Amino acid sequence: MAAMTQALPQERAPALRPPRHRVERRAILLWTLNAIVTALVSVGGLGLTYGLWEASRPYVGPLLAVAAVFAAVNILAMPTWRYLVHRWEFTDRAVYNLDGWITREWRITPISRIQSIDTKRGPLQALLGLTTLKVTTAAKAGSIAIRGLDARVAAEAAERLTDITQDTPGDAT
Amino acid sequence: MTVTAREPGPAADADAGNPDAEVPWRRLHVRVVVVDVVVLVLSLIPTAVTMLVFHLGFDSFSIWTAIATTSLGVLGAVGDLVRWWRTWYRVTPDRVEQRTGVWFTSFRYVPRERIRSVDSHARLRHRLAGLRVVLIGSGEPKPSFRLDALSTAMAEELRRALIGAGDRREPGPAAAAADRADDRPLDGNPLIARLRWSWIFYNLVNAWAFLVAGFLLWSSFWAFQLVGVNLADVLAKLVDWRDLGVGWSIAVAVGGTFLLGVAGHAVGFVKDNWGFELLRTRTDTGTALLTRQGLLQTREVYRDDARLRGIHFSEPLFWRWAGLCETEVISTGLTGWSAANEPASSILPRGPIREARRVAALVLPDGHRPMEAPLTPHPRRALLRRLWWAALVPLALAGLLAWSAALGGPPAWAWLAALGLLPVTVQCARVAYRALGHGIVGPYLVLRCGLMSRSTAAIDRGAVIGWTVRETLTQRLLGLLTVRVSTAAGYRFYQAPDLGIAQAVAFVNAAGPDLVGELLVPANRPPTPPE
Repeated sequence: MAAMTQALPQERAPALRPPRHRVERRAILLWTLNAIVTALVSVGGLGLTYGLWEASRPYVGPLLAVAAVFAAVNILAMPTWRYLVHRWEFTDRAVYNLDGWITREWRITPISRIQSIDTKRGPLQALLGLTTLKVTTAAKAGSIAIRGLDARVAAEAAERLTDITQDTPGDAT
Repeated sequence: MTVTAREPGPAADADAGNPDAEVPWRRLHVRVVVVDVVVLVLSLIPTAVTMLVFHLGFDSFSIWTAIATTSLGVLGAVGDLVRWWRTWYRVTPDRVEQRTGVWFTSFRYVPRERIRSVDSHARLRHRLAGLRVVLIGSGEPKPSFRLDALSTAMAEELRRALIGAGDRREPGPAAAAADRADDRPLDGNPLIARLRWSWIFYNLVNAWAFLVAGFLLWSSFWAFQLVGVNLADVLAKLVDWRDLGVGWSIAVAVGGTFLLGVAGHAVGFVKDNWGFELLRTRTDTGTALLTRQGLLQTREVYRDDARLRGIHFSEPLFWRWAGLCETEVISTGLTGWSAANEPASSILPRGPIREARRVAALVLPDGHRPMEAPLTPHPRRALLRRLWWAALVPLALAGLLAWSAALGGPPAWAWLAALGLLPVTVQCARVAYRALGHGIVGPYLVLRCGLMSRSTAAIDRGAVIGWTVRETLTQRLLGLLTVRVSTAAGYRFYQAPDLGIAQAVAFVNAAGPDLVGELLVPANRPPTPPE
C-alpha cells in the first residue's frame, strides 16, 4: 500500500499534509455496489427506452452510449480511486477530512464549532459493517461526512470527538 | 461478523471502561404506544362503517376512499409504533445521545456544552395523553433532537437537567454583546448615511423595467375595463401606427414601455426609500444598525451589532462599469436572500461605490477598511481555466446543435451561430479573471469573485466555522485550488476560486494559524505515508 501511496500525486498537493487515517478497504466494495445500483437505474432506464420506443432511438442511442461509458468508469475506477484518496483524522482542535476522486476536497472544521456528531448507516453499510461519521456545524457547507469507516472505529471516534468537543468551549456562532 | 455485537444502541453498552456505560438508555414514553393503538383503531372506523353499516361491497367507489383513509391511518400508526420501538435516548453527564431508524440507523451525539435550548410543544392527541414533544437545540437551524413524545413530567425533568444547571455553560451571546457594548460607547455621530436624491438615477434603469411596465399595463387595462374603457383601443388611437411603419411602431412601443417601466421604478424607489437613514443606535442588549425608510409605510430594521460578522458588496456586471454597488451586512440570523422583499441584510440602496466604502468603514466596528484594501490577484493560470470554459461551452453547444441538425432538428447554420458566441465568452473569461482576488485585512478575510455579479465579502475570521479546499481535474492540471470559508452568517459560505497552491495554503494558514498550523508540512519535507 505504501508503494501505491508514493505513486499518488500527493507531493504536489498543497503543503497541507494528508490526514492520517485511511478508510476501510471494504468501502471499495460498498462504493462498487452503490455504483452498480446507480448504473442499473440510469443505463437500465435508458436501455428500456431504447428497446421499447423505436422512434426515440436516434436520440437515446448516443445518450445510452455515453451513460454506459460513465457507468463503466464509475463501477471500475471510482471505488478504488476513492479509496486511494479518502483520508480522515481529528486533532485536539479540528476535524480534518479529504475526499473525492476526480475532484478532491480537503475540509477542516474547528472542534469549537461542532454542534452535533452522528453515525449513520444504511442497509448496504450495515451488511458490510461500515458507518458514516457526520460532524455538523451551524453552516451546512461546513459539515463533514467521513464515509466508509468501520462501525466500531466510527463509534469510538464519535465518542472521543464528543468528549473533546465537550471540553472545548463552544461558540454560539 | 463482530460488528453486529457493537451495534450502537442499548446492546452496545457492554464495553467496559466507559464511564457512561451505566447511564441507562430510555425509550420514549409508553403512552405513545397507547396513542398509536387508539389512532389505529380509529382509522379502522371509516372502512368498518361503510362495510357493516352501509353494506357496501368492494365494487362501490366509496369503499375505496374509506379503505384509503384507513390504510393511511394504519400505516401512520404502525410507522409511529416502529419509531417508538426503535428510538432510544439518554443523557449522560457529558452528552445527549439518541439512536433511531430501522433500515437507515443513525446515532446522534451532542455534547451538553453545546445545548442551547429545550422547547416542548404538544398536539391535541399528545395533550389528551399527557405527552409533550421535546425539541433540543444546539444552535443549528434545525433542532438536534426531537423526542416525540415524553410525559409532561419527563419533559420538565429533561429541561431542568439540560438548561436549569446553567452554571457550567458560558454566558450567552446576549451577555457577551452587552459586554462588548460597554467597551465601545456610542461615540460621535450615530448617523451613518442618509438618502441622496441623486441615487434615484441609479435605481431607474434595469432589465426589470419591461416587467414593471408590463405589470402596470396589464393591471391598468383591467382597471379601465371596470369603468368601461378599453385601454387597447385608446392606445391604438393615440398614435397613427400605419403612418409610422413597422420599424418605427416597434421602436415607439418598446421605447414607450421602457419609459413607463422607468417611471414605475422611480415611483417605487421614492415610495420605498423616502427619508432613508442608516444609523447606529442603542438597544437593550447593546448596539444595532438601524435603517429607517418608506413613504407610505415606514420600514425599520434593527441589526444587532453582536451578530455582525462582516460586510458584502455585490456589483452586477453593467452597474459595476458605472461604479455602482449594493451593500449588505453579513450577520448571523439574517439570511442574505429573500424573494419577497428587500432582504433585511441590505443596508443601503444601490449607489456609488465610494459611498458604499465610506459606509462600510463606519459600519465595521473596529475602524478597519477591508473593502478598500488592494487584493492579491490570482495567478494567470486562473485565466487559462476560464478561457478553457469559454471555449468549451460554445464548442459543446455547437456540437449538440450540429448533432440535432443532422437528426433533422434546428436549421443547419445554428451550430455556426453557437461558434459566434466565442468572442463573447472569451471576453467574459477575462472579466471573470479580473474579478478574482483575496486578502487579509486586520481580522477580516476578503474574498472577491464573480462574473455576472462581482461579489466582495469581508468576513471576521472568528466567524469562520469551516474551511474547504477544492481541486477539480482542470485545477489539478493547472496547479490551482478553490478556497471556501463556511460561516453561520449571510450566504453561509464565501469563496475565492483558483488561488495558486502556495497562495491557498498561505491564505488558509494566515486566517487560522492555530487550527491549520499542525496540518501543514514544511515545503522541503515529503508527506508522511499514512498508517
